[in-house]
Formats: sequence, structure tokens, C-alpha cells
Amino acid sequence: MTFAIAVLLILGTLLYVLGIRRKDLPPPIPISPTQHLEERKAAIYENLRDLQFEYRVGKLSDEDYQRTKAGLQKELAGVLGEIDRIRKEKPEAIAAAAAAPAVGKRLRGSICPHCGAEFDKIMKFCGECGKAIEG
Amino acid sequence: MQRWKVSLLLLAVTVLSLAQNGQQFVTPEIKRVGQKLACLCRSCKNTVADCPMLECHYAKPAREVIAAKQAQGVSDQAIINEFTKKEGLQALAVPPAEGFNVLAWVMPFAAIGVGLLAIWWFIRRFSARKAVPANDIDPALLDRYHDEIEKDLAKLE
Amino acid sequence: MENIGALSLLLAFCFSIYSVAASLVGKWKRKPFLVLSAERAVYAIWALVSVASGILVYALLTGDFRLAYVAAHSNKAMPNVYKFSAWWGGQEGSLLFWSFLLASYAAIVVWTNRKKFRDMMPYVVSVLMVTQAFFLMLITFIVPPFQVLAVGKGITDVGDGNGLNPLLQYWTMAIHPPMLYLGYVGFVVPFAFAFASLVTRQPGEAWIHETRRWTIITWAFQSSGILLGAGWAYAVLGWGGYWGWDPVENASLLPWITATAFLHSVMMQEKKGMMKVWNMVLISSTFFLCIFGTFLTRSGVLSSVHAFATSPIGNYFVAFLAAGIALTVYLILDRLDYLKSEAHLESVVSRESAFLFNNLILLASCFAVLWGTMFPLISEAVTGEKISVDAPFFNRVNVPIGLFLLFLTGVGPLIAWRRSSVESLKRAFLAPSIAGLALIVLLAVLGVRHPYALISFGLCLFVTVTVAMEFWKGARQIAAKSGQNLAAAMVELTHRNTRRYGGYLVHMGIVLMFIGFTGAAFNKDATLEVAPGQMFRLGAYEMKVTDLIKGQNDNYQWAYSHVEIFQNGSQIGVLKPERRMYLSPPQPTSEVAIRRRLNEDLYLNFANVTEDGKVVLQAYIFPLVSWIWIGYWVLLIGTLICLAPSKQKLSYARTQVVGITKKHATVES
Repeated sequence: MTFAIAVLLILGTLLYVLGIRRKDLPPPIPISPTQHLEERKAAIYENLRDLQFEYRVGKLSDEDYQRTKAGLQKELAGVLGEIDRIRKEKPEAIAAAAAAPAVGKRLRGSICPHCGAEFDKIMKFCGECGKAIEG
Repeated sequence: MQRWKVSLLLLAVTVLSLAQNGQQFVTPEIKRVGQKLACLCRSCKNTVADCPMLECHYAKPAREVIAAKQAQGVSDQAIINEFTKKEGLQALAVPPAEGFNVLAWVMPFAAIGVGLLAIWWFIRRFSARKAVPANDIDPALLDRYHDEIEKDLAKLE
Repeated sequence: MENIGALSLLLAFCFSIYSVAASLVGKWKRKPFLVLSAERAVYAIWALVSVASGILVYALLTGDFRLAYVAAHSNKAMPNVYKFSAWWGGQEGSLLFWSFLLASYAAIVVWTNRKKFRDMMPYVVSVLMVTQAFFLMLITFIVPPFQVLAVGKGITDVGDGNGLNPLLQYWTMAIHPPMLYLGYVGFVVPFAFAFASLVTRQPGEAWIHETRRWTIITWAFQSSGILLGAGWAYAVLGWGGYWGWDPVENASLLPWITATAFLHSVMMQEKKGMMKVWNMVLISSTFFLCIFGTFLTRSGVLSSVHAFATSPIGNYFVAFLAAGIALTVYLILDRLDYLKSEAHLESVVSRESAFLFNNLILLASCFAVLWGTMFPLISEAVTGEKISVDAPFFNRVNVPIGLFLLFLTGVGPLIAWRRSSVESLKRAFLAPSIAGLALIVLLAVLGVRHPYALISFGLCLFVTVTVAMEFWKGARQIAAKSGQNLAAAMVELTHRNTRRYGGYLVHMGIVLMFIGFTGAAFNKDATLEVAPGQMFRLGAYEMKVTDLIKGQNDNYQWAYSHVEIFQNGSQIGVLKPERRMYLSPPQPTSEVAIRRRLNEDLYLNFANVTEDGKVVLQAYIFPLVSWIWIGYWVLLIGTLICLAPSKQKLSYARTQVVGITKKHATVES
């Protein structure tokens, strides 16, 4: 009895760990080359929002507010410029990443495989170019 | 049978603990000296004055010794010296501030000092604009995105 | 059955090594098969360790006294809940418990990130599994939990086990170790992410959000574990202490302090991309301090009430620590360029500087506790003479540090990020400072003379006012815009930035705890022999022992006394302090009686009965101690709020986050 359970335990776990079929493999997730910049951008917008709020509740003097805001805007412009530059240089990587749903976000609806337009409803045919959308 | 034995044992233990009962009380005088002495019972980190265990095999006799010496008119320091003579330096609740043991007291505050120096260094290093790759961007670039940023900013709640 | 348990552990050990190898090879040779297989091994390990744990728990519950572990830590008379908690009551079982928690954490990490961080997950898995392999090695080869008792050649069993130490048969003791372990073990995960991000030179801050989240969860467990332990000590040990500066208590405090420092300084990294090296150092120290704490509890290098029996596993821990620290230090030094700061300090008067000081003070207290804990060893090694470093040392060093920290808790939120002009600081500090100073003067006039207590109460009010002002100002702003009432606006405010306002609540919890700690400056106590019918007095209470009742059940013998409590001549209650004598192991315990009130606790310990039938009572008055436990609940609620997602209206060109031109997209985040 004990022996049978032992054999079962060994074989079962081995089979589970080693028996990987091709379809079990997760599809590779392309990472947008601008993703970390987008994160940075979101962080700066968050900082700006925070700054605005603190200013409104009176925690900041006018001068502090203007100076800090100018600094943040400058940083933001730098990030935006960098994003645009990468976009121009590697449009194909961006497109690949855009076709796959971005990390942590779920797209509800359809993306046209032909022209790249996106819709918030499931569509059988693309509303932009009229071609069929599968799946 | 088993239960019977346990009861016997229990009886023995109870009798033992009853027999030991004696003076537990800590007068302010005993407390004054006891606070400077470590309880060496090895299961607490308290002083002789505030070891909470009744029948503590170290703190209780120690208190009795203190009371007896005080009755003889021995000074506080002399009582403490007698304890250190008998048990060594470990009889003291805190390490004496002499010799190597000064470090016990100095190091935590030295650490704060070192930390302050580190902060000073950090502030100096990172206050300078050149400390990091400058984000002095082209004013033209800023202009280009200025409107977009302002528009988005207005939408922020 | 025990053979299956041992086999499961051996298999799990093999799989953990396989998982490390498969992850790394799979990553380096770009073989997704291997990477996936390594992740499956993580689940398999969880299943195997669960099987082993299940078998041990089953043996404990059914009283299979052939097993040495069961015989040593359980007996027939114990209630089931304590039979279950005997799982972590001894060395072998608690290491198995460690391993089980680690396996569970690892499985959750792998599952929640199965579609994220694909490039760094192999390294995360490796770090988790190296740690797992270490613990599984200990329980497979060094201290196996499934050892059977044998006499001569035959397996034998004993009639009944030794039972769990009766002091531990108390409800918080059934929760305190798991909570603390959840904390200890959980800090492996942030470390694994930090380590993996270093190896892969992860761009961006996404991984740090993940790390921060795990740290908060783990921090909440660790806080709960520490405070449940304090609550247990207060209610069980019979002397009303909740913290004794015991080496093992200190060991649990150390990673908590460094994690607290990390949770603060990580904001600098998220907001500005600064302090990256420092955050790496903090998160690594937290992990290694956890391992160090586990080592202290088990190796017997320092004598402690909590320590398990001395065993040979100390050296393995030292080796693991040394190798781990060396590798981490090397990796950090090698990746300094990756950890380069992205921003500079705009002004010395800024939130950033406040965080620097906060980190300094937290680390200083961490160092002071570590130093005090280890100093007896160091001193003995150098001078050859034993010394004691007892509670007075820790109090003398840590009280001023703690008060300064409390001060910073109030100061930090008043200073704006990046820069704050002196003018706006003056405005912000005016009301809280006046309130704090006024309270100090008032208390001094009322006769409070204890200098630290005065400062502490003043600072508590100072911080409270700053936090209240933050909430009030923010809520007023929202109320003015949206027309909500102030209470609704406060909820809205918190919802909009859960991290900040949850954090303020955590600060309030800390303030309440400080109020409780400060109360200890006014403790009163008396030890008395009272005959039934006799009155005695402590503080504002008069007490009368009316009765002495005795009895016995399967587990213990008991005796308790009825004590009637009077205040200003009228009876306000009856307390029944109890003394128990457990049968196995024969050990006395106190079931203290506590009259808990917000202003002070009246605490009675039935210590003994004298030969002539008098009751020996230890009576204590602990002012304000309840605020510690209230503070804990506030802290916990604040932490949970921090974990809740913020409601954000980020309606700026969000489409760009996903990618190219989108005309009709809806993105859910």
C-alpha cells in the first residue's frame, strides 16, 4: 500500500513537471520598447496631479508650485520626446506590442487585424476598413 | 495508574512551591539597588528589581541579600560591588561604560553620526545638477509638448 | 504514512533543486519548455510539502505517538486547536511550516505572474527555490520531522506525549507564530523580485510596484505577529509586560524596521527614480535579517525564552547567510550603473530630505537593537568576560530614538515634495506645534513630571494634529468642489489616494501605540498576601478577596479567587484570577484577570496560596495600555487601505499606454 502510494506520488509529480506539451507554453508577450517610458510618464502625471492638489489645499506657496510644476513639465517633455523618438525608430516593435494586450490591462472588444483599429464592442467586421475580424 | 502518578507528582510540586513561599516584596530601597543589577535567571531580560517571576531562583535571593545588606547599613555601591565580585560584570544590568564595553553605549550614537555624515554627503552629491544625466532638454522640445501637457493636466482630477 | 511524508519532502527537495537549474538553464539557453517546467515544479513542491504537512498534522491530531515529534509536542488531553498548532511548536515541525509557507508564497507568486515579467520570472523562481531548497535540506537530512521512536529493532510508541508547553496554550499563541512566520517568509518575495530585477537590469518601475505590494502585505503580517506576541505576553505571562527585549523578540523587530524604512524610501524611487542602491540594500537586509532571526531562534547562540532546543543547524544558517550576502553585495556592486539615480535633489528642505532622516533614524534604532542583542557575544569574545545587556540598555537607547521618529512622523507629511519654502513651512507647523506645546504645559501643570512622558504626549498630539489637518484640508477641498459633506469627502479623498491616506492612518496607529507605551511610565504594582475577606488598595481601587475555588479536569488542576473591586465605595466588578497546574508537562500557569478600560487596566495575577490559606496576589495598574491594541487595529486598517487600489481619473492620453492610433478604444485598468 505504502509502496503503491510512493510510486504514484513520484510518477505523478514527475509527469506533471516534465510532461509539457507544446500547447501548454504561454504565447510570448511582446514588450513595447516604450513601456518603461510610459510608466515613467504615468508617474510624472501622478506627481503633477498630487502637486496640483497640494497646492489647492494650501500646502505650497505660489512660487514653490510654479517652480516644481515647471520642473515636472520639463521632465515630462523629455519623456514624451523619447517616446516619439523610439516610435519613429522602431515602429514594428510598437505595433507588435500594441497587437497584444498590454501588461495588466484587458482590452474589451475587437482589434482589426488588417488596419489596427480598435473597438470597444466585439465586432465581426471592422468598422473602419470593413474586412472580417476573426475570433 | 497514569493519572495516579501524575497526581502524586503534582502534589509534590505544589508542596515544594508552597514551602518556598516567602518574602517577595520589593521596597523602594531594594528597587533602587535592584534596578542596577541584572536578573541572571537566563529566561528574562529584566533587572533584579523588576523580574516579575515569583520564586525566581536568582532575583528573589538577590533581593534578600540586598535587604540584608541594607539592614547592615552597607552603601548601594558596596552592595553592587559585592554582586560583581561574585558573578562578574554580568551581574550589572547594563554594561559598565569603561574599557571595551564603552562601545555598547557609543556605537548606536556613533551610527547616527555616521548616518548624518552619509546624509550630508548624499545631499551634497545629489543637490548638484551635474550629479545625474541632466534633464536640461531642448526648449524647442518643451514648447512642442507644452500644449499637450497643459491639456492633459487640465483633465487631471 | 510517515514514510510517505518523508518521501514527499525528499521529492520536494529534489524538485526545488531541479527548479533552480531548469529556470536558469531555460533562461540562458532560451528554452521556454524548461522555464515552464521549473514553474510547474513550484506547484509540485507546494503539493508535496502540503502532503507532508497534512500527514504530520494528521499524526498530531490522532495522537500517533510512534512519531518522536508527536510524542514530544502533543498529548491526548490537549484541545484540538493546540494539537494543530503543535505543527509549529517544535524545531522540526516549525521548519516544515516555514517550508510550507514558502511553498505557498512561491506558488502564488508564480501563478499571479504567469503572464507578467516573463524575462525576470526565472530568476525570481530561482531565488525562491534556492531558499526553499535550503529549508527542505534541513528537514530532509538534518532535523527530520518524521522520525519514529525505536527501541532496539522495533518501532515503538509511548502511551502519551509530552504535550505543548501550557504557556503556549492560549488563543493568540495559536495565531502569533503563523503570523510572524508569514512575515518572515513573505520577505523572501520582495527580495526575489529585487534580485531578479538586478540580474536582468529591468527597465522601468513596474517590478517595484509588485515588490512594494508584497512588502506591504508581509509587513502587515509581521506587525500582526509582533503585536499578537505582545498581546499574548501581556495576557498570559502574569506580569503585564508586552515587550521584554528578548533576543528573539528583537530578531522579529529588526526586519520589521528595515521593511518600514524600505516602504518609505521606495517612494523616492517610484516618484523620482532616486535611492535605487539604498532600496536594494534595504530589501536585501530585510530578507537576510529574517533568515538571521530564524537562525537566532534555532541555533541557541543566545539564551532566550523563545529559543528551541540547541541543535546543529546553526552552522548551515551561517553558511547560507554568508553565501547569500556575498552574492547580493557582489551583484549590487556590479550593477551600480543600472542603479544610477535619475533625478537630483531640488532642495534641502523637501520631503525627500525628511525621508532621508526617517531612514537614518529607523536604521539607527535597528542597529541599536541589533548591537544590544549581539553585544554580549562580542564583548565576551573580546574581553573574555560575560556581561549583561538588559532591558534598561534598550530603553535608554531606544526611547530617545523612538521619540525622534515620532517627531519625524509628524514633520514628514508637512513638507512638500521637491521643495518647500520656509514661509509655507511656518504656516504648516504653527497649529500642530502650538497644540503639542500646550499639551505639554497643561500636563506639567497637572503634575506630570516624567520628562520623556511629557515629550511623548506632546509629540503624539503634534502628529495627530498634522494628520487631522491633512484629512481636513483635503476633504474641505473636495467638499467645496463636489458639494459632498465633509465625511463623504474624506472617504472620497482616501479613495483617490489610498496609499497616502492609508499611510496616514498607519501613522495614527503608531501614535496610539506610543500613547500606550508612554503609559508604562506610570505603572503601579503591589504584591500582597491577603486572607479571604480582607481588603487592600492599589491606586484608585479597593479590592476584597471573597472566595477561593479549586477543581480539576483532564488537562490541568485549577484554583481561582473571587476578587471584588470597589471604587469610591461602590462595587464596580469582580475579577477571577486563576492559577493552573498542567498535568503534562507539569507546569504552573497563570490565567490573569484584567479589567480593561481605556484609561487604565487593572491586572490581577493569582500567584500562589500560602500555608495558612492566604492568597498571594500580584496587582498591577497599567495606564493607557489598551491604546497599544487599538493602535494595532488602526494600523491594520490603514495598511489594508494602502493595499486597495486608488480611484484615479487619469484621463490624459491614456491610449498611448497601449500603443498606436486608437480611435474607439476602451481600456480597463
